Amino acid sequence: MEAHALLSLGTKLLDIDDNRFRQVVDLLGHMGDHPEVQQTFSMIRPRLKELRPKRRPTFKRLFCEPFEDLFQALSGDEPAPLNTVERGLVNSLWPLVEAQIGKDRLRTFQAALNGGDGQKEQTLAFWAEAAQAVAEIANGLETGRFTDDLDVRLNPERIRTIQDITHILAIAPAVLDLKAAVGPKPVAKLHKDHLDAIQTIGRTIARGRPEAVKIFILLAAARLSDPSILLGGLWSMDLGQKPSDRAALFLDLSGTVVAQIEERSRAMTGSPAGGTDRMAVANLAVDLMASLEATRSAMEQSRNKEFDQRLKSIRGSVHDMVRAQLLDGAESGILAALGTLSGGGNDRDQMLQAENQARALRKCATIADTLGLRGELKAVTQKTTASLTDTARQALGNGANGGGATGNARAGYTAIRMIELIAGPAEANQIMDEILNTGRR
Amino acid sequence: MRSLTNFAPSTFEERGAAVAFTTPVLAQTRVRKDSRDQLEVLIPNLSEGRGVYVVPWKGLPLAFPMTTHDRMLQDLIVKGEGCSPEDIRKAVLEAARCGLAGPLAVEAADAALRDDDEQRLLINFQLIVEVLKAVGLESSDILRAGLTSAEGQRLTRTYMIKAAHSLSIEPTELYSRVAELAVYLEPVGIASSPKPARLRRMMRDLAAFRDSMTDWATDNVSEAAPIGGFCAEVAEHTLNHVRNVVGQLDQAVAAFEVLLRQWDAKRVLVRRAATRLSWLLDGWEFIMTAWNEVQGKSRYEQDMTVHELFRVLPLLPKDEGAADQALDADRVLAANRRSVRAYVDWRSGQLDVDLVMRIEAIKAKAA
Repeated sequence: MEAHALLSLGTKLLDIDDNRFRQVVDLLGHMGDHPEVQQTFSMIRPRLKELRPKRRPTFKRLFCEPFEDLFQALSGDEPAPLNTVERGLVNSLWPLVEAQIGKDRLRTFQAALNGGDGQKEQTLAFWAEAAQAVAEIANGLETGRFTDDLDVRLNPERIRTIQDITHILAIAPAVLDLKAAVGPKPVAKLHKDHLDAIQTIGRTIARGRPEAVKIFILLAAARLSDPSILLGGLWSMDLGQKPSDRAALFLDLSGTVVAQIEERSRAMTGSPAGGTDRMAVANLAVDLMASLEATRSAMEQSRNKEFDQRLKSIRGSVHDMVRAQLLDGAESGILAALGTLSGGGNDRDQMLQAENQARALRKCATIADTLGLRGELKAVTQKTTASLTDTARQALGNGANGGGATGNARAGYTAIRMIELIAGPAEANQIMDEILNTGRR
Repeated sequence: MRSLTNFAPSTFEERGAAVAFTTPVLAQTRVRKDSRDQLEVLIPNLSEGRGVYVVPWKGLPLAFPMTTHDRMLQDLIVKGEGCSPEDIRKAVLEAARCGLAGPLAVEAADAALRDDDEQRLLINFQLIVEVLKAVGLESSDILRAGLTSAEGQRLTRTYMIKAAHSLSIEPTELYSRVAELAVYLEPVGIASSPKPARLRRMMRDLAAFRDSMTDWATDNVSEAAPIGGFCAEVAEHTLNHVRNVVGQLDQAVAAFEVLLRQWDAKRVLVRRAATRLSWLLDGWEFIMTAWNEVQGKSRYEQDMTVHELFRVLPLLPKDEGAADQALDADRVLAANRRSVRAYVDWRSGQLDVDLVMRIEAIKAKAA
């Protein structure tokens, strides 16, 4: 099959059954490293990640293996690595590495791809050679030697990425050990054995290649559901460095973590209040506060005041975000949706939005204390619950029960559901019993 | 693993009918009548051990924090006349229409009730056509006039009187037999129906579920694969029984004249077959919808769903003559023992809101 014929399948590849998908991937793998094939792979990458079909081993794939955890996240829901590696940059870098090593020399590493005896040795030797090639390319880039050959425009971020790749390839055996000790991402909690393994491997690196310690720690952090989890363990970790180096590394990593939290909070606070999914806002706020707390407690351990102001400012922006996007207008939004029901209408989207708003209010309760919004949240919740109780009482007060076919009864029961989403089933059940029993009497 | 599958009832009535609660710990638990004709509910062992808790129906809210929807549903079931799958379904749809399980559940319940109405009309018409066919009369005149038009109804009455004479029974008796048959056959429909009725659609979906689960479990190295394989096997056994029962019903309707002439004997057969069919397929709708929902999601989510489906898998009772599925389930359980996620937030004892949302989403598609 021709490449263009496969490409014309487009997003259909995401919907075909697993076996056929594996066949197509195998076929694409045999077509070589053409831009169209790369484009197709980018398109189907989420499914590749999910299904992990057996891919034809290539030197390029082997080259990427040590730093694969740092590739950009495929969807917004996944935790982003602290230092990301751009796939496009690697696609441009690989031909240069291939040329630098030389085709003949590359062939001598064939055992690394074919398996069998000596595969591991050959793999490690390949990575060492690749590290050297990337280091030479990085040096060449400084003098402008490879700038034209590299298809992408260079910027400080990309130069930093190329240096990161050099360091990672140079410590590739240690990265293999790290992958064996810490499972694939997202690891939700670091246990003692994880921390011990990171410390042991980190010490070896600090002795031989101190410049690679930071990227090694970032690689470890990339396997976690929240990179800030590692900060807590890092301060008490002895990597055999001088205290000043240790403090500098901690500071550096803290800076990266804080910058990421700042970026996430900016992304959401920048969006307009009306059009946002309020549940997504609540989830983000809860995640950000968890990261913030982990970072803050790590900072307290290290008695580092450096980031206090930045952390305060993040907390401030989460506070504002919760207040503006979740608390303000919550009552009116929920009651307006109920109003459409009382009038005999039925706007499903508006109702679903109101439900989301109610759920988001409940979710906020877990962080309201930390954000200093407890009083405000309580006031909004109580006011909304009281209004909803009134609506329910008016609609169901005459003892309507079951068979909520009429708009009025439906509005009453929906009001009770909203109370349940905001305040929990115990309170909602109590209110419902009270209203229905009074009505029956 | 907490499961209703390590309980080995002898009859469907002893197994109880599945109730579509939205409280996670109660989801798809079974309700039955005790020896004093009081309702009781079977809840899987909460300490991950063997056996099930049998809780009096009225004591349920005291034992578990329930959602408002479930309180309403519980109330409606108590007020209803029985606890067969059809009785429970009626209560479930009524509770969903209140709005306590969200707007999507309301829409789904409304759609299900509309479908029931359509099927009722359709089966009545189809049975009249069968009556006329059985006595060699043509129904095309009625069709041309329109069944609901005055002329159509007049023609129907005329033809039915002729048919009653031909069958040597009173016209009112013929009408009452057709009406009774329509009640039995409404959820099943007849083989020639242009729009398959609910239980026939479920039969088709069950076959698709079995195939999908078999495909999933084959060549799958996950620890949930043998459990998925077992789910597919139970679906296959159930499907065989369902096919038999549907075959019996279709045969009875095909020999319509015999059915009407030997009414006293045949009506019992038809009623039993229809009731048995609803029991056989009871509880599968949730399982099939939950499985469909998780297609395209991650392997981990699929594994977790398979474990949850196993927990509420409707095993055939011993009297149905199948192999001892409870024993087989025990073996699967022993070989794949693992803890499943808790349904209640252990710190606060509050309901897991996300899980409630997931169950409501399934309800919105399954009702």
